[in-house]
Amino acid sequence: MNIMTLQRYRNEIILLLTALFAIFAFYYKLSATNYVNENKALIQKQISEIVEIESYKKQWKSKGMAKKVKIFKTIVPASKIKLFSKKSSKVKVSYINLSTNDLDKITNKLLNMPIQIIKLQIKESRKNKFTMEFTCKW
Amino acid sequence: MNLTAKRNNKLLIHKNMKTIISLENSIDIILTPQFYTFIREELDVKFSYQAKQIAGSLFDDYLDHSKEYQYHVSKCDNLWCFFAYNIEEIDVFLESVGIEKHRVSKIYFAQQLIDELKSPILLDEKSVLQNIDNVVTLVPLQIMDTSVEYNSLDMNSFKLKGGITMGSSLNSYVSLKDTVLLSSIFCILGAISIFEGDRIKNSIYKDNAKLTELLDENPRYTSSLARESILAKYAPIDKKERAKRQAIKDISKLLSNKSQLKTLSIDKNKIQAMIKIENKSSSRQIKEHAFSKKFKFSASALDVKVEKRL
Repeated sequence: MNIMTLQRYRNEIILLLTALFAIFAFYYKLSATNYVNENKALIQKQISEIVEIESYKKQWKSKGMAKKVKIFKTIVPASKIKLFSKKSSKVKVSYINLSTNDLDKITNKLLNMPIQIIKLQIKESRKNKFTMEFTCKW
Repeated sequence: MNLTAKRNNKLLIHKNMKTIISLENSIDIILTPQFYTFIREELDVKFSYQAKQIAGSLFDDYLDHSKEYQYHVSKCDNLWCFFAYNIEEIDVFLESVGIEKHRVSKIYFAQQLIDELKSPILLDEKSVLQNIDNVVTLVPLQIMDTSVEYNSLDMNSFKLKGGITMGSSLNSYVSLKDTVLLSSIFCILGAISIFEGDRIKNSIYKDNAKLTELLDENPRYTSSLARESILAKYAPIDKKERAKRQAIKDISKLLSNKSQLKTLSIDKNKIQAMIKIENKSSSRQIKEHAFSKKFKFSASALDVKVEKRL
């Protein structure tokens, strides 16, 4: 193909080149769309899994929990605490003679603390007096 | 007059020119009227492509219809100058005098030499190039007055404007106007596609960067098995502990000044509470609320029992 032929078909060549450019650009857009469709859901699933794990760990495997559970030792007068035992990542508490207010206070604290309630037992011992036992772990 | 290409890059082309033996560089050629037909017209058009559209009809009476002609239009003061030429004929002639097509840079018409033709120029022993009424014309030498003095043409003394290329002289299947229009559309579509493609790709880069950051902080979450196993461990704990807390809250809502908690217990799979009531109507109320919270309900005398599996 000599220069004259190129010049002869100059318009057609320009059209062909620009059309090829448009086709390749469109193909690039399609491949980008396919790539995103295939990977976006997967990436977002991985992110949400990691975020979920972190949030679970933060909630149910809190590092400062050993200190926080000490509140159950001071929340009511010592005379009402029958047992307070903390071993490793487990706490066992037993109260006696709790008033309704004491019971509400301890229950609210327990419910708002990110700790696993293994066992809970509340009993009315006499009129408006309660015993309470719970075992929790973290 | 110098007709060789060695010392000039412009060459005047006429039918009796000598063969060019060595042509090393590209040249511009100036066609004498032997190779084109010229018309000058006053037309009410603004652009040369409009003038070019009617060029064919202007030459209708002057050209041989058995040949295919190309047209060149340029503005000459207030008039339009039309040139009709047959590029194949020119091509054949150039080959015959030793000028290869690819050596020809641009083609000009001798009409542009009008200012140089204050005196006629002797082309060869038979013909003369002369300005007649501002039209460069080829005149036979034999009809010239013997007293006329001939000028020589110094190819370096003038500059040529415009010009056409060999290839573009041939008729193209697609007009320049259509080419510009379609090419622009293709380029715009291409640019939009690339822009869109980049935008779409960038939308995932943000998530990708966030994932990389999270994995850098916690490399052991790279494995999907590890993630699934950790989730399998914590998800049930989270679900059960939330259920326990919600159940205790629901039971506390069942209590009123006419009912009081007697026992409440939570073990591995169950929460249950005994509530002491003052009268039967309280029992009905508790029953309704308990059912709405999906508790099992049972009553005996003034004690009611609600329970739920966790």
